[in-house]
Amino acid sequence: MSDFSASMSASASGMAAQAARLRLVSENIANADTPGFKAKSVSFQAVSDFMENSGQVRTGRVELSSAELPEVYDPGHPLADENGYYQGSNVNLMVQIADAREAQRSYEANLKMFDQSRQMASSILELLRR
Amino acid sequence: METNPHIASQLYTNAQNIAKPDGPESGGSSLFAEMANDFMATMQAGESAAIAGMTGKADAQTVVEALAASEIAIQTAVSVRDRVVEAYQEILRMPV
Repeated sequence: MSDFSASMSASASGMAAQAARLRLVSENIANADTPGFKAKSVSFQAVSDFMENSGQVRTGRVELSSAELPEVYDPGHPLADENGYYQGSNVNLMVQIADAREAQRSYEANLKMFDQSRQMASSILELLRR
Repeated sequence: METNPHIASQLYTNAQNIAKPDGPESGGSSLFAEMANDFMATMQAGESAAIAGMTGKADAQTVVEALAASEIAIQTAVSVRDRVVEAYQEILRMPV
């Protein structure tokens, strides 16, 4: 059973990582209009305990986007300088939506693999009973 | 026909030796104990994950993973138990 359970925990770690990624996308979209907000992104890395690769994945450090903050012209804005500009957020909605869709697809793939290993494990046990 | 009681007792001893399991409790019972302990650990992990999920301390993936693992552990234990009981009943039905 250890291969099946290792497969299931690897899929579960993938789902958890994609969920964390989706959370960052939600935060970015929620703050798309916040002045000075920098888009967050996270990288994935393989989990290894004591130099042995366990096959699982986890999210690494959260990094802020280094893209230039856009200058938005809005003289009525409380943060606007004397020329009427303030710094907006560098969240690109198109990129965020694409990232969210990618997270969804990866989550679905992990879910399928989880279900697959569960079904394989229980179908081999089905042989024992008549 | 003359029967020799000595030969009869020797045959009986031989039969006893054949029917006797070789070695004192070789491995089987400790292996079963290990399996049972493993099963109990899986079940306890599943229960604590379910409780943590209900109280909002664990995310859905963890709960589903632990519950699926304990489901498979239960299936294994039930199947093995059924086979063991079946074998035992087969022995009981043996004509003596």
